[in-house]
Amino acid sequence: MFLGIDIGSSSSKAVILDMEGNILAQEVVNIGTGTKGVELVLEQIFKATNLQMPAFKYTIVTGYGRMTYIGANMQITEITCHAKGVSYLYPKARSIIDIGGQDAKVIRLNVSGQVENFQMNEKCAAGTGRFFEVMARVLNCGINELSNLAGQGNDSVPISSVCTVFAESEVISQLATGASRQAVVKGINQSVAKRIVGLCNRTGLVPDVIMTGGVALNHNMVKALEEEIGMPIIIPESPQTIGALGAAVLAREKYINNLKNKTNY
Amino acid sequence: MNQVELLINQFLEEARNPKQTVTNVMVSTGKKAFGCFPIYVPEEIIYAAGVLPVGMWGGQTQGSKVNAYIQSFCCSIMRANMEQGMAGTYDFLDGIIIPTFCDTMKAILANWPVAVPHVKVIPFVYPQNRTSEYSAQFLISQFRNFQSNLENLLSKKISEADIENSFLTYEKYRVAMREFVELVNYYPKTLNPKIRHMIIKASNFNDKAVYTKRLRHLMESIKEMPQERVHGPKVVITGLMAEPEQFLDLFTENGYTFVADDLAHESRQFRTRARSEGTAIEKMAYRIIDLRGCPFFYEENKSRGTLLKTLAKKYNADAVVVCMFKFCDPEEFDYPVYKNELDKDGINILYLEIEQQMDSVAQLRTRIQSFSEMIMNEIN
Repeated sequence: MFLGIDIGSSSSKAVILDMEGNILAQEVVNIGTGTKGVELVLEQIFKATNLQMPAFKYTIVTGYGRMTYIGANMQITEITCHAKGVSYLYPKARSIIDIGGQDAKVIRLNVSGQVENFQMNEKCAAGTGRFFEVMARVLNCGINELSNLAGQGNDSVPISSVCTVFAESEVISQLATGASRQAVVKGINQSVAKRIVGLCNRTGLVPDVIMTGGVALNHNMVKALEEEIGMPIIIPESPQTIGALGAAVLAREKYINNLKNKTNY
Repeated sequence: MNQVELLINQFLEEARNPKQTVTNVMVSTGKKAFGCFPIYVPEEIIYAAGVLPVGMWGGQTQGSKVNAYIQSFCCSIMRANMEQGMAGTYDFLDGIIIPTFCDTMKAILANWPVAVPHVKVIPFVYPQNRTSEYSAQFLISQFRNFQSNLENLLSKKISEADIENSFLTYEKYRVAMREFVELVNYYPKTLNPKIRHMIIKASNFNDKAVYTKRLRHLMESIKEMPQERVHGPKVVITGLMAEPEQFLDLFTENGYTFVADDLAHESRQFRTRARSEGTAIEKMAYRIIDLRGCPFFYEENKSRGTLLKTLAKKYNADAVVVCMFKFCDPEEFDYPVYKNELDKDGINILYLEIEQQMDSVAQLRTRIQSFSEMIMNEIN
């Protein structure tokens, strides 16, 4: 068995692959690095599979919290892991848009599924999951409700600022002047989409485009992004666990390579 | 600890403790000290006056006094200099020189006499257009003005012979520095990105004649060791400066080698060779006139892209790493131009936006490690 762990800034994910490379289990816990998130997600996945740590031939950890986790054989960046996870599921994929809790990345893959180019957002939280968390708080709703809210109508109000702090003030002003919550959420989605397009342009987007990370669960956000980039976006069944999946796939490859090297030796 | 480690540790110690280092040099040489703002200043004239030129390239200072004079979005090196000036860090200097290479420096030049009145400042203007002979003559006249201002400030005459000798000392220093950055290619482990930077940085706080002798000693000791190899990307690094230390550690951890640099703080200071004809002052002027690929000087046909491509090819580099200081206008204006040229030649670029004072380097770690994984393709 092979274990991939992705310790993100706001969630922890784990994926188990069997010896043949089939996905055995995947779990998400919505708390990330610096919390008990990784312990909880491992507890959940072990419970679901009746497995324990010694059962794993190789473990790879990725994500923002990868440097502080000591239970893995190796740490690899989330960029490489997302590329591996996506190309495992979608061999024709050439571009990945990953919007997580704290950062946004656009990754371009070559025909072999290897990273060819990538761009990340800067320190600021604009256009990331954290941005949506702040907006959900201002709109007095759960982050999961944002997508449905945006889908309730066609109106939108422009949110011109991409800075989380300024956008928060702008949203409050819009609500104060009578804009509907639905129109504001739509405006927020469009604002984030415009920000992400900047990263896409710097990377050079090529179809098939896959979106990963928690924000991919916000269907109206994905729609806004599709309109901006002018290409369809494919959403995996479990977009949050793609990094962990990639880590598990790499763990299996690493184990097989090590085994081959030993045999050759 | 072996001889090489001892010598390197001494440079590290000096680079980490500029004030203590300068104080020690002042005591051992009996010299006074004079501060030199980035990017280029006529250090040779200061040295000829028997005074120690001290490079003022910011520091790990995060204060609030500077906010009264320079906005938070300005260059972190300039903000640190101003903050340190206002905190009294530079009170031991006999004066400072501030050139006017960018808008922030112009603002500092105006604000310094008000904010730090007890540390006298001599302004310096370099010619931006360097295509005519008049530019060289203007620069020579500027050097003479500076010499005269410095003589008045120090109440001391600087002879032509002193300037000639000083220029020779600096030329020997520049030759040694060029050899040093070349040596990194053969000893990338011993002279990893951080150590390479810190050794170069230490030159800002030392007497150049003594520093050159010590650097040569280190280089000779290193050459006795077997050559080294590291498993990681070979890169040309470009920008204003590559700091702080923990930022450079990320490159070291991921096995990078800085095969060459185009940093204002490093090779741009010593890569241009002096002409063989003329007086020392003339040679100093023509070194600046001949300097190419630096965004702090106007170049109609920008040559930085060609320079970076040449370096990348010469050293078989895997990529060019751009250290973009927030929000350095001259560097930012240059980027789209040389990026296009590098893209056309299929040279990989890693663009990193940095500040001199950074508490967290987690995002940079992901970029630098991912780029290494991408380049080395060791995982995929």
